[in-house]
Amino acid sequence: MKLIKKTIPLAIVFTVGVLTLLSYYVPHKVAVDFVETVSKWENIVMAFAFMLGLISLFRTHYGKITRQVPGWGYSIFVFIGFLAMVVPAIVTKGRTMEAGSITALGWSYRHIYNALAGTMFAVLAFYIVSTAYRSFRIKSAQAFVLFVAAFILILGKVPLGQLIWDKVLGWTGYTVSQVIGWIMAVPAVAGKRGIMIGIAIGAVVTSFKIIFGIEKQYLGRD
Amino acid sequence: MSEPWMIAGAWLATGLTIALFSFLYKDNPFFKIAEHLYLGAGMGWLFQVSVFSVWGPKIWTPISNGDLMVLVPSILGLSLMTQFIPKISWISRYGFTFLMGYGAGLAIPASLATDFMNQIMGTLQPLAGVSSMTPLAIVNSLIVAVGLVCVLFYFFFSVEHQGHFKKVSNIGVYFLMIYFGASFGNTVMARFSLLYGRFDDLYTFSGGNYFYATQIILAGMVVYFIVHELLRKKEASEGEAAQ
Repeated sequence: MKLIKKTIPLAIVFTVGVLTLLSYYVPHKVAVDFVETVSKWENIVMAFAFMLGLISLFRTHYGKITRQVPGWGYSIFVFIGFLAMVVPAIVTKGRTMEAGSITALGWSYRHIYNALAGTMFAVLAFYIVSTAYRSFRIKSAQAFVLFVAAFILILGKVPLGQLIWDKVLGWTGYTVSQVIGWIMAVPAVAGKRGIMIGIAIGAVVTSFKIIFGIEKQYLGRD
Repeated sequence: MSEPWMIAGAWLATGLTIALFSFLYKDNPFFKIAEHLYLGAGMGWLFQVSVFSVWGPKIWTPISNGDLMVLVPSILGLSLMTQFIPKISWISRYGFTFLMGYGAGLAIPASLATDFMNQIMGTLQPLAGVSSMTPLAIVNSLIVAVGLVCVLFYFFFSVEHQGHFKKVSNIGVYFLMIYFGASFGNTVMARFSLLYGRFDDLYTFSGGNYFYATQIILAGMVVYFIVHELLRKKEASEGEAAQ
């Protein structure tokens, strides 16, 4: 039983991982074809993984409705929202535009999904500002540097900020856009590169641990 | 789509937008309805993308044409569904291990090329052409190189941060702070850009050609909140009187 429950899955990780890794460095048609095929396969397995999540979501909300837990009425809107996108998609075969005109799916996307997604992220603007107020209390030189960088970035991206900069610091000969350009291209790049290199090393090490079966928490319990 | 549909869409978009914004006042049923609709609509959109870009062209069409190789990933994918049956949920490991193996095998060359080698190259390459650079460009390149080394010192945990090591890693923290500040500023402005977009839509839909959707829905919601608050206060006072 250990063979089919543990050994074969770990052998799949090892084989697929090593072959995908080697294919990247082997300039041969077989390697290129392999990567292309495995990439297609990954898309297919991911589509099933998405279905797993979708069914799980539906089970949760269906359970809330049948058990009539407090707030169960809201769960109905999950299904309404889902159908509001899927039914038009079936009718229009997944097309949002047809002959230069918006289809039923395009209508649903624009007036339901886009309106909701845009607003949901826009609401975060208010919370970011309130968080900034609390977190930008300058207690150290490092916090001051963070504040100055953020302040210049925000100031320089609105016309009023550019106007204030020109009035107050115009004598320096540098516009706020030039200063932002310098921050983004020089000191911020040093910080970003340090983080990216750290992430890369971490990703490589974790990937090797997965391929060689050292990291196997994703297998779950027996 | 005909004109009445576009007007109906404007009313729907306005209602949903204002319902989500109402959370800024307090948690309420309008927000919860819009929140659940968003969840369902998001899943619905991804589902139709999955059907029309994967299930159809990558599974159904090849099988119809006799290409049975796609049955292999399909069976691996189906194995994931055993997660719903605890007794045989271990079968899902076959699908998950395929995904993990592919992801790990792909992450190594991708991370090494873009996040590791390219970053080092981008730091060192400008220094190779110092003779043809302006003094300002040389200083900038040196700041990037020195800053990067200092940041890497900060992330090097194998040695205790003391003495000179601590001084160098402290300089690295300043570079990190500048990056975090710049990222924060960019994120704030991106969110505000979305906010302007939503306000722009609300402004557009407040016109006579959309039958004043924004004003009417906003007024309706304000009336609801006032009535709800009055009823709540009345109930509270009646409760106190009963005690």
